[in-house]
Order: sequence, then C-alpha cells, then structure tokens
Amino acid sequence: MTITLDSRTATRTKIGIREVSRVFDSPDGGPPFVAMDGVTLDVREGEFLTLVGPSGCGKSTLLEMIAGLTSPSSGEIVIDGTPVTGPGLDRGIVFQQYALFPWRTALSNIEFGLEAKAVPRRERAELARHYLDLVGLSGFEHRHPHELSGGMRQRVAIARSLAFDPDVLLMDEPFAALDAQTRESLQEELLTIWEKTGKTVVFITHGIDEALYLGQRVAVMSSRPGRILTTVETPFDSREGDLRADPTFGEYRHHLWTLLRPETAGPTGSGRLRVVTHDG
Amino acid sequence: MADLRIGAGQRTAGRTGTGTLAVITSERTAGTTTGTSFRKSAGRSLQKAAGKALRNSAAIVLLLGLWEALPRLGVVDRVFVPPISTDLAAWWDLLVSGRLTEHFQASLLRSLAGFGLAIVLAVPLGLLIGWYRPLNDFLTPVLELFRNTSAVALLPVFILIFGLGETSKVVFVFYACSWPILLNTISGVRTVEPLLIKSARSLGLGPIRLFRKVVLPAAVPTIFTGVRLAGAHSILVLLFAEMVGARAGLGYLINDAQAGFRIPDMYAGIITISLLGLLFNLLLLALQRRFSTWRVS
Repeated sequence: MTITLDSRTATRTKIGIREVSRVFDSPDGGPPFVAMDGVTLDVREGEFLTLVGPSGCGKSTLLEMIAGLTSPSSGEIVIDGTPVTGPGLDRGIVFQQYALFPWRTALSNIEFGLEAKAVPRRERAELARHYLDLVGLSGFEHRHPHELSGGMRQRVAIARSLAFDPDVLLMDEPFAALDAQTRESLQEELLTIWEKTGKTVVFITHGIDEALYLGQRVAVMSSRPGRILTTVETPFDSREGDLRADPTFGEYRHHLWTLLRPETAGPTGSGRLRVVTHDG
Repeated sequence: MADLRIGAGQRTAGRTGTGTLAVITSERTAGTTTGTSFRKSAGRSLQKAAGKALRNSAAIVLLLGLWEALPRLGVVDRVFVPPISTDLAAWWDLLVSGRLTEHFQASLLRSLAGFGLAIVLAVPLGLLIGWYRPLNDFLTPVLELFRNTSAVALLPVFILIFGLGETSKVVFVFYACSWPILLNTISGVRTVEPLLIKSARSLGLGPIRLFRKVVLPAAVPTIFTGVRLAGAHSILVLLFAEMVGARAGLGYLINDAQAGFRIPDMYAGIITISLLGLLFNLLLLALQRRFSTWRVS
C-alpha cells in the first residue's frame, strides 16, 4: 500500500503545460505572429528538467508564463492541478542578469522574498544567513552587489530564490553570463542544492552540454513557432567525475545537436555555432 | 620534487571531488584581492586628491595674487576693482558690524524656505507623475513648456501676485527649484531597471509594495541629482530676486553697495554669495553620497 503511494508521488505532475500558444498581433496589420504553438509538457514533482532551444523560440516566455508574469494566448498552465493566474511565492525565478537590488546587501537581498512572505524579522536574518551559507558565501553578508563577482551575484540570486522556500525553481539561462570555470562550479553546486532541497527545477539554456549535464530530462524546443520537439531522458546515474568526457554523453549530445540543427541552420548552415553563441 | 607532487595532487583533487570548493576559495581570494587593491587604490586616490587639492588651491592663490597685484600695479582701475585685501577688510567690517550676518540670514532663510518647499512638494508630485503613465502622458507637454520657460521671466508675475515682500521671493525660489527636482524624480521613477520590477513582481508584490520596496529606492540617486541642481538654482535665482526688489539679503547688499559706490562692500557681498553656493553644494554632495553609496558610478 505504502509502496504504491510512493511510486505515485514520485511521478506526480508538478507543472502541467497544456496546449499553450502565444500569438502576437502584427503591427502592420498583417497576419498575427505565432510565437508559440501548442506547447504541451509535464514537469514531474522534484524533477530537474532542462529546456533547450534556439534563440527566439519562446523558452523565456514559457518560463514567464509558468511564473505567472505573462499569460498564454490559449491553453493553460497548472501547478499541482491549479491553473496559474499570477505570480506567487510557490515559484522562484533566477534570471540571467541576477536582478539583485543594488541598494541592498547580499543578506538583505536574500531577505527580500522573506519580507514578501511576511516572515518575522529575526527569522528572516537567520534564514538568509543559512541560505547564504548554502551557496558558499558566508562572510559576504554585508557586501553590495557591485562589490561581488558575477558568480557570487548569481549565488546570491539563487539563495534569494531558495530562501522563501518555493516548490518550483525557474531558471532562465542563469549561468549564461558567467565564465566557463565559474559556470561549471555553479552547475555542480546547483545539482547539490537540488539534491538537498528536492525542488522541482525548470532550467532554460541554449547550451546543449549544459542541458544534458544538468537535466534528468531535456525538453527540446523548436523555433518559429515554438514547439516542444521531443523530451529526452538522460541516462546518467551520477554527475561525479568528468561526465562530459563520457562517450554516452557524447552520443546524447550529438543526438540533441541533430535535433536542434535544422532549427537553427541559416542559409549558410552554420546552425551549430548559432546554438552555442546566441542566447535566447 | 615533493613540492611538485603535492601540487599535482591538489590539482587532481580540485578537478574531481572538491572542485566546487576550490573554485569558491579562488573566488573568495579574488574578493580579498579586490579588497586590498581597493585599500591600495584608496591610498593612491588620497595622494591624488591631495595633489589635486594643491593644484586647485594653486589656481585660487594665483587668482587672489592677481586680484591683489593688478589693481596695485595700476593695470586695472583700483576704484572699480579694489585689491582683494581691501575687499576682505570691507568684508570683515561688515561682519563685525553685524550687517553681513543680517543679509546672509535673510538670503539663507529665503533660499532654504523655497528649496525646502520644492523638495516637499516636487518629490511626491514627481513620484506620482512618474508612476502613473496616463498622468505622465497628459502632463508631459505642459512640463516641456514650463521647463523651457526661464524662471526669471516669471519673476514680474510673482511680484504682481505676491507683492515685493518675502512671499514672492520664496515662491520664486520654490518655482525655480521645483523643476529640476520634479523632472529628475519623474525620470528616476520611469527609468527603474525593468528586470528589478519583474523580479519583484514574480514574488507576488502588489503595486504599493513594489513602489515602496523597489521603485523608490532605485530612484533615490536620480532624485538626489535633481535636489543638488535645485540647491544651486536656489541661490542663483534668489540673488536675482533680491537685486530687483528687496530691503535685505546678499543680492540687495551687492546692488545697494554698487549704487552707493561702496565698491569693496559689493565685492564682499559677491565673495559671500560664492562661498554660500560652494557650501550648499558640498553639503548636498555629501548627502547624496550618503544616500546612494550603492550606486556604481
């Protein structure tokens, strides 16, 4: 009896994206522009899902719809079975450009979401310190964002989104602006934090390697109109060691690359480069 | 040899298990380095500042020297431009007699009243106009018209309405100070980084809390720029008003001394007004720094 319950909760749908479309009116009176067409995707409870796609495929828009910042033209998004009607503290977003409040210190930035949640002052400071420690930044409590490196700022932003304890963490290319070394270390840390906290994570990226390395499942999106082409379960049990050098990693990488290639190939066919260099 | 092996070991450890830690440490070291180099650069900038102060004061010393020498040498007419020592003596006499303090006080009170009134009224109004887009769209043409109308051109109007007394002067200063504060406040509110608003909105903040917690603090530096501009304005325009019609104030002192041919007194008034302007600006600059330490310039 208990076992059935467990297996049922393990695959329970956390976020349901149902036939979501986004249409923009053309400014010159022409036919409306279909940015996203019939996107359907289920994100399981506690899952780390990466969403990879070329620039302009609408993956950021999809994330903002889940966040409740914009609404779909048709279709619906449900969280725990309840349709999303606006933003809420059950979801936290991490943006590529950190979006830290420059007049607040690292600690006070983390407290921001806790203030929104009306957590008592003393508890706020305590929680903020805990999460600052979790992202490896204890000792930097009173630094302002401009006194921190890009990697540190993104750590603060992650801590801020974790601190008010949302069920879902939405990440919009959070590591795209960082140098390769910092990015890799933050990727590792994010996985550790995810394992520790058991959040449902939706992570957007335009990098195939990143999508494959982080995701339990990779959803591949096409552009114009944005559609989910396919989802791929990644076969790796652990991320220990140099996973990127694993031949299986290479095979999956190539598979995803082939899927995305026709999507981005321009007239010259330099599709692969564009996937890697452009951001979405 | 042994050292080399330890080094290699550390490097491998860094790549596998403790990779995360290693990178954090290096980032922290980077932080500390920035700290030390900051201290170093602070020392250097202090030295630079001292050098700059020396150069600046050198120019002033030169100016004062010329002011003293040229009239004495007869290069300029010492009746119209008395040597600085004569002017300073006149300044001292005015100070001792209490007349300077009286005029100074009159001017200071008027400019502070107008300036203070402008802050109290223009900041909230600017916040309102900046926040409500329809209001902003509605008022922009009028604002454009008024900002391009010299306050000085409107002084006769103020005198007509409020008479020659204190009220017209305070209103005049208030009017002139309001524009930089109002326009900067509006632009401060309207140019808040949209990502910050989006980020706050994603946490479910309503419009009022969004305004109080994000828009207002983000706009503070821009508002302060306006306040500082207004501070400079307040003295400039007041002087003009006092020259046109007043029985006290530094503007009156300067004009009256000129008319009565007490030329050193006139210069004493001019020196006082420039010192007052300098003081005002330094004070506001210090305040601005205090309120926007986070702003990366």
